[in-house]
Amino acid sequence: MAEPLLSIRGLEVTFRGAGRPVPAVRGIDLDVAADEVLGIVGESGSGKSVTSLAMTGLLPGTAEVRGSIRIGGVEVTGAAPEVLRHMRGRDVGMIFQDPTTSLNPVLPIGRQVTEGQVAHGLLRTAEAPGRAVELLAEVDIPDPAGRALQFPHQFSGGMRQRAVIAMAMAGRPRLIIADEPTTALDVTVQAQVLALLRRRQAATGAAVILITHDLGVIAETADRVAVMYAGKIVEAAPVAEIFARPRHPYTVGLLKSLPRLDQEARRLVPIQGQPPTPGAIPSGCSFHPRCPIGAARERCRSEEPVLRAAGPSGVAACHFTHEVEALLAATPEANAAVSTPRAAPAEPLLVVDGLRVHFPIRRGLLRRQTGLVRAVDGVSLEVRAGETLGLVGESGCGKTTTGRAIMGLIKASGGSITFAGQDITRLDAAGLRAVRRHVQYVFQDPYASLNPIRTVEEIVAEPLHIHGVYDAMGGAGRVARLFDLVGLSRTMLGRYPREFSGGQRQRVGIARALALEPRLLILDEPVAALDVSIQAQTVNLLMDLQAELGLAYLFIAHDLSVVRHISDRVAVMYLGRIVEEGTRDELYARPVHPYTQSLLSAVPVPEPGVSGRRIVLEGDIPNPASPPSGCAFHPRCYRATARCAEEAPAFVPYPGLATRVACHHAGPLTADELPAAPAANEALA
Amino acid sequence: MSASQRPALVAARRVLARKGAFMAASFLALMAIVAFLAPWILPGDPLTQNLRHALEPPSAAFWFGADELGRDILTRVVYGARTSLVTAMGAVTIAGLIGVPIGLVAGFYGGWRDAVLMRLVDVILALPGILFAMALIAVIGRSQLAALVAVGITGIPSFARITRAQVLSLRRRDFVIAVDALGGSASHLMFKTILPNSWSPILVQVVILAAVAILLEAALAFLGVGIPPPTPSWGEMLRTGKSYLYEAPYYAVLPGLVLTLTILSLDTLGRTLATVLEHRQGSTGEPEPEGQRL
Amino acid sequence: MTGYILRRLAQLLPVTLLASLAIWAMIYAVPGGPVGAMVGENATPEQIQAVTERLGLDRPVLVQYGAWLGKALQGDLGLSLQNRQPVMELILERVPATVQLGIAAILIGLLIGVPIAILSALHPGSRLDRALSAWSALALGIPTFWLGILLILLFAVELRWLPSASTYVSIFESPGRAIMSLLMPAFTLGVYVSGIFARFLRASLIGELHADYVRTARAKGLPERDVVGRHVLRNALLPFITIVGLMLASFIGGALVTEAVFTYPGLGRLLIQAISTRDYPLIQGAILFILVIYVVINLLVDVAYAWVDPRIEYG
Repeated sequence: MAEPLLSIRGLEVTFRGAGRPVPAVRGIDLDVAADEVLGIVGESGSGKSVTSLAMTGLLPGTAEVRGSIRIGGVEVTGAAPEVLRHMRGRDVGMIFQDPTTSLNPVLPIGRQVTEGQVAHGLLRTAEAPGRAVELLAEVDIPDPAGRALQFPHQFSGGMRQRAVIAMAMAGRPRLIIADEPTTALDVTVQAQVLALLRRRQAATGAAVILITHDLGVIAETADRVAVMYAGKIVEAAPVAEIFARPRHPYTVGLLKSLPRLDQEARRLVPIQGQPPTPGAIPSGCSFHPRCPIGAARERCRSEEPVLRAAGPSGVAACHFTHEVEALLAATPEANAAVSTPRAAPAEPLLVVDGLRVHFPIRRGLLRRQTGLVRAVDGVSLEVRAGETLGLVGESGCGKTTTGRAIMGLIKASGGSITFAGQDITRLDAAGLRAVRRHVQYVFQDPYASLNPIRTVEEIVAEPLHIHGVYDAMGGAGRVARLFDLVGLSRTMLGRYPREFSGGQRQRVGIARALALEPRLLILDEPVAALDVSIQAQTVNLLMDLQAELGLAYLFIAHDLSVVRHISDRVAVMYLGRIVEEGTRDELYARPVHPYTQSLLSAVPVPEPGVSGRRIVLEGDIPNPASPPSGCAFHPRCYRATARCAEEAPAFVPYPGLATRVACHHAGPLTADELPAAPAANEALA
Repeated sequence: MSASQRPALVAARRVLARKGAFMAASFLALMAIVAFLAPWILPGDPLTQNLRHALEPPSAAFWFGADELGRDILTRVVYGARTSLVTAMGAVTIAGLIGVPIGLVAGFYGGWRDAVLMRLVDVILALPGILFAMALIAVIGRSQLAALVAVGITGIPSFARITRAQVLSLRRRDFVIAVDALGGSASHLMFKTILPNSWSPILVQVVILAAVAILLEAALAFLGVGIPPPTPSWGEMLRTGKSYLYEAPYYAVLPGLVLTLTILSLDTLGRTLATVLEHRQGSTGEPEPEGQRL
Repeated sequence: MTGYILRRLAQLLPVTLLASLAIWAMIYAVPGGPVGAMVGENATPEQIQAVTERLGLDRPVLVQYGAWLGKALQGDLGLSLQNRQPVMELILERVPATVQLGIAAILIGLLIGVPIAILSALHPGSRLDRALSAWSALALGIPTFWLGILLILLFAVELRWLPSASTYVSIFESPGRAIMSLLMPAFTLGVYVSGIFARFLRASLIGELHADYVRTARAKGLPERDVVGRHVLRNALLPFITIVGLMLASFIGGALVTEAVFTYPGLGRLLIQAISTRDYPLIQGAILFILVIYVVINLLVDVAYAWVDPRIEYG
């Protein structure tokens, strides 16, 4: 067999800063053949991005790289800067996570797309503008000639990432490294970009290394998968094998902690504990403190396992590979906290009716109001005591604004919000304060939502002080009991937020929200910023708390799998309106709004070969300052007719289902609407 | 493990762990102590004239030499430090006590309060600081108090703008919105949540502004519009010393050296403080140059 | 972009008017008021009466301000008390000297500061960076007037190469003599300017060098020269231009003091003389003049920012 395109042997990367040296990558071997897509999956801090930067010599000067990386037979480690530069852009193209920051804001897109080729002498300066237009056309950017002259801020997120792909492909590289290429994108846009990436890969025959934390993206894009943990590859195998029969306990843990769109609700099995930080990696097998097999075993604690053949064509680094299969089969103990639709209580706790939040746009010399951003434009929903309503939608659809308006943090422009029978939109400050005892908010980013200069004890006690009930509700004892409730040790009371990991901080945020014994929690993407294994712990905690305290949740999220897992009922938002609302099971099994249908079809499922048939929506989410006429979804909709452009559909019950929907052409997805095969799917993209 | 110590202590230790900042802090501490204890540790008086010794070069009796009226230059430099210290502390206090509340209110409430307050502050900024101070002194006359007040007023905009910027950015942060969501009142938000998180840039500004105040006071004295003689002032000594460059070059050199070292020390300390405090908050770079104005 | 400039102008205008009001009103705060300022403290009632009428001080306050401003806008700033010359003439006489000094200082500052900023930003934390950072700390920390005195001591008193007091010679008339007399004052002020560039351009550059798009540019295989020259420098200019705007005031203040050190016959010295002789019309006129210059330069800074940043046009 010829030498693979990329060959890594014994790669180690250590960061030497002011303090102790920090090992980020601790010895990995990897081969990628031409025309192959290798997925590298791992949680934050696993060393996957560092590995990708090492391949192109883009690590900062404080990084010390040992071992060998050969690309097309050329050694990268220790190569002269000029050698590396000739390789970049010509042999290797790179796609980064955030297209907003990875493009230069002050240069036109067209020039950025071709300047690498010009620098390599592959393209004459005079020909560059024409070539840029060609390249942009290849990635389906409409009006490429006009767009080439524009700047990044004039592009939408999806278009920016397509321009980045055009840039990476410009030199027809033999290897493309894509580091979380769709993490910053919405799910319908992610589907477009992944389809594009696959198409361009097939057209050029390049090898692709796809780095991601998203097992669904891996399952449907990669040929082979390497799983990284604490700076090492712990398992590598063909994609079908790794999902069907993982050979490492960590891989099993990842798969079992993942809420699934395609499976009935079951209690998630999180991986216990926290992922290690690169500075403090456990002895022996780095996974042993969190491993159900190795936690108690002396051998796992003292001896570091090496990668050995496991399964038909995979490798795994585990002393007890043969026990892993039993681990995968084991089902968790039956638990009452698995979400099952409950009999609906008669009285709804929260009723939102026709809520509107409009922000004025001011322009010009006199800051005159020239328009309105209709962030929320007529939202009606109900949350009953003890149930969870999932509010799901893509970025900019107004779901967070809805949550904050209910909280009274943003003033509603119209509509009514009734909590426990009381209209709270008309309350004065004191009345609102009283209601806020019963409605509490949990934020997305656990790093930003805790006051950095207070101890976590002070943070959890703050709501008690604000409402003057600190002593009445039990003072320090109350705070300690809240810590018990959310599974935090009382020994941590006097510490500051920065000493906690993301998952622990989110627990602090939940404890604070529970301090006043609220009846409703508004959870705004509470697990979106957490790693998969930690996400499962938090989801389980929220479900246990709900069962124990009888809380109602308004669960705002973009992740359809998590929403399905936790919700009783689900509402889908698009451009400031709810387009479809129904019970969890009905909405996921029989969606009747075309947007819900395409949203569900766009989610990558962590099961190779399953999601071949997919509706890929065209275009991006429109700007809420100038929403399309009639039904806001009509420009992207496959059922749209002339009527949709003129008349906004009413939000009405759908006959035969407990679903309400806003669509002129509502109805289940028909066979001819779904693309027949992956080939057609690519034609659509 | 000292991880759970108060952030202020951690920051102070990390500032002093740096060699440059430690030397700067030591120099400033020494200056402050000597200035404070001057009447007890120095044999002479800064105002005693002795024309027999006029313009005497440095000697055992006059370590820094004597000035044109035979006064001991070292004694005057030490008492000049008191003048600088008083001006710096007074000016920074005035600027902070007026500027910080302005920035807090303007940033927190926004709207017309913001517009009115910040336009007023901009009027001070409409002229270079030294010009503003000179204009003010031209009206109210020369005195130590006038210099102090003039320098203090020119420092108001820096505090107001930095506090306002800090409030605006904190106002959008989740942990502040969280307190709002809990039902915290406006004063709770401002004084218990926002202000305690704003001390870092304000503290940096205090140090930087102290340097600016000392420099500005010296510059005013040098131009002949600052603290009137015979009160010892470094700027005044430089002004007079400049007339005797040929006869007594040490006269202008030594007070200037002490002034420069003081400014450099404050600058070093301020920048180290900014680096240490901002690293904790996850940003980098130089402190805002607001108020670094002569 | 035009809209942006107009909007900035609309923001600057009220502040400028308020400041001009303050400048006009300062004469009322002087002991004896405007009349006292004109005729001195030992004036007879008749003199006071005459001056009051001549100045129109019996009219309503706002009318007086309007009249003053209206005249000022036409270039009439009144007569100097010292020598009865029009204030505007006295000011315009001094402008070329100050402009020449300022431009020379900025050139020296650019020449020293920009290479320092780029060199140290490319090797942050290195020994070279620390040495160059020490320069910027010294350049910004050393009082202009002390640096000036040291230079005079060295080059005029000890070496006797240059004159200790500078005179204004136009660079267009006699370049050699102009450079000789400018050398020390321009260098004194230029050192300060170099410190601004060395410190703040370095900070902007380092901030930008960490940006994601720089990694993208390197991943494309651009040579480091192009990464810095095409991508980083232009973005780094944005925060730096803002800082230049903020430091402008201190530059003008520095020019004022520099003129005093070298008894250089510019606008600054005119103002200092006016203050020491209590020539209030001249004080007011000079300050108003500097205010307008300052506002105009500030506006130019805004234009520069909008020119570099394509996002302004649409934002």
